[in-house]
Amino acid sequence: MGKNILEFKHVGKRYDENVVLRDINFGVEAGKFYTLLGPSGSGKTTILRIIAGFDQASSGEVLFDGQRINDVPANQRQVNTVFQDYALFPHMNVAENVAFGLQIKGVKKTVIQQRVKEALHLVRLDGYGERAITAMSGGQRQRVAIARAIVNRPKVLLLDEALSALDHKLRVDMQRELRQLQRQLGITFIFVTHDQEEALAMSDQIMIINDGRIQQTGTPVDIYDEPLNHFVADFIGESNIVPGVMKKDYVVNINGQDFECVDAGMKPNEKVEVVIRPEDLDITTVDKGELKATVDTQLFRGVDYQITAHDQREHEWKINSIHKTTVGAQVGIVFDPEDIHVMRYNESEEDFDARLDSYEEDED
Amino acid sequence: MKRKVAWGKVYLGLVFVILYAPILYLMIFSFSSGKTMERYHGFSFQHYADLFADSRMITIVINTVLVAVLASLIATIVGTLGALAIKESRGAWRNSLLSLNNVLMVSPDVIIGASFLIFFTVLGIRLGFISVLLSHIAFSIPIVVLMVLPKINELSPTLVDAAYDLGATRWQALSRVILPAISPGIIAGYFMALTYSLDDFAVTFFVTGNGFSTLSVEIYSRARQGVNLEINALSTLMFLVSLALVIGYYFVSKHAGRRQRVVAVKEGDAQ
Ligand SMILES: Nc1ncnc2c1ncn2[C@@H]1O[C@H](COP(=O)(O)OP(=O)(O)OP(=O)(O)O)[C@@H](O)[C@H]1O
Ligand SMILES: [Mg+2]
Repeated sequence: MGKNILEFKHVGKRYDENVVLRDINFGVEAGKFYTLLGPSGSGKTTILRIIAGFDQASSGEVLFDGQRINDVPANQRQVNTVFQDYALFPHMNVAENVAFGLQIKGVKKTVIQQRVKEALHLVRLDGYGERAITAMSGGQRQRVAIARAIVNRPKVLLLDEALSALDHKLRVDMQRELRQLQRQLGITFIFVTHDQEEALAMSDQIMIINDGRIQQTGTPVDIYDEPLNHFVADFIGESNIVPGVMKKDYVVNINGQDFECVDAGMKPNEKVEVVIRPEDLDITTVDKGELKATVDTQLFRGVDYQITAHDQREHEWKINSIHKTTVGAQVGIVFDPEDIHVMRYNESEEDFDARLDSYEEDED
Repeated sequence: MKRKVAWGKVYLGLVFVILYAPILYLMIFSFSSGKTMERYHGFSFQHYADLFADSRMITIVINTVLVAVLASLIATIVGTLGALAIKESRGAWRNSLLSLNNVLMVSPDVIIGASFLIFFTVLGIRLGFISVLLSHIAFSIPIVVLMVLPKINELSPTLVDAAYDLGATRWQALSRVILPAISPGIIAGYFMALTYSLDDFAVTFFVTGNGFSTLSVEIYSRARQGVNLEINALSTLMFLVSLALVIGYYFVSKHAGRRQRVVAVKEGDAQ
């Protein structure tokens, strides 16, 4: 465990009767890229506002570099924010907006000029310094907001859906650009998005938020391959989630059929949910298939075909395949034991991690 | 369709003729060499010469302008701060502040004037420059609040957060972000207050003492003694000044944003 630059301990937030955050706990290691991912209204912006100091936690502690900062005002925190609505100063031009933080700190004018220029270059806005904010497009404004925050070289940078207004190509470019910048400057990024692809592509660590709670924290691979619960599995990527029964360690029963799997540590005959990613399912002939199904729809998406099919028990399966099939055809579906991921109902993140550790150790 | 448009224009023209005819009539006679407005006697600047020789009148003009400029300036400062305070306040308190402000806007000048008279008399303040100034400030403040508040409401609430985020103190957030951003409203409020103060009669009538008078009160008392074309000359000049003010306001408000930018560019010039 590295040193935590930022830590939330049992942080709660409510507006009158409306509980927005319930018992949020996490630690943020310096120099890493964190993403808060969750649906609209899940409390992502609220967490950022508490970190930045615009809002106060109703309960719990916020630590920065080990110091409690609950009562430190926003203008004294070593944190900068890219706001969801940009919050650019309308009466200043682009360069003045970017220069504002440095001017407040009393940095020398020549230095300001240089750093503003660099920051604008970073967000691909060279030569836009003299433009009025009102004369910038939504995506350009968003980049001004990024430049305005980053020019201050804070210890922690908070980005609230900082790329949402950009077109796909620019967005991918900016993702790479931001990631590179983050590594280069060693700034800790806390990035909010509800775009899961963006989260998977950029983050060292992803925190999945729903309903004011952190559902799961982990690397993109962990979260994708081993989702903790139905919400995470459903929210990240496409997935087939079916009910099943854990017969014994490494054997799960789906729809009355036993399958070998790689999960263990549950009670015998425990009711569970099984996740299989669509890209892990392969289509084959009926006699070779572990499941038999009828193809309902097929959609070409460029890289692959998105196929839906239903089995004999009328359960629907999503399959992503690079091979074409025909609608109405009888096919077999195959998958490997490693493709099956078993989730217990209401398992906490600690229990989940402990269980994984216990049987993964056995294997070694 | 075409007919309709034409009638609309005729109607509009008629309205403007009716509105401006009396003023025009008055202006034309200010250049007449005669002593009355019954008949035009031929062009002369006689009444303008009379006006500039009338030192009492000149003093009153200066007083009026002084009161208007001072009162609207102070009212703009107080009103802007008031609007900011109203914005900061919450719930019932905010509503009552707003209502108190609006009641002052709609209550008749006569009532306000009379209550000021009673107020000053009770406090023992001598009627004169100070009493007129104070009452003008008082009735201008709600006007400024009304002009500034919508601008404040327009501001994104995260704008102030952004200023704090970048390290600004409360004062810096106010002076460098909020005030510049709402400056069009402040300027509008100032000019509104200025015009209200310049042409106020009812309130001023109650609170002017013996030695002190403003234009509207003076013109009223002179007009009662019979027509004097010096008044026409004065009115013409006032009309031209207010026209200039309106045009000036138009340009100031249109270029307010740009001018500030030019001033500030020198600090953060990136090019
Ligand atoms: N000032 C406030 N007063 C009352 N409720 C609030 C306030 N600010 C936020 N909320 C509520 O808190 C919840 C979480 O809001 P938040 O802005 O953190 O969501 P979010 O995850 O950022 O969503 P989005 O992706 O739409 O930006 C919402 O239900 C919202 O209605
Ligand atoms: Mg948000």
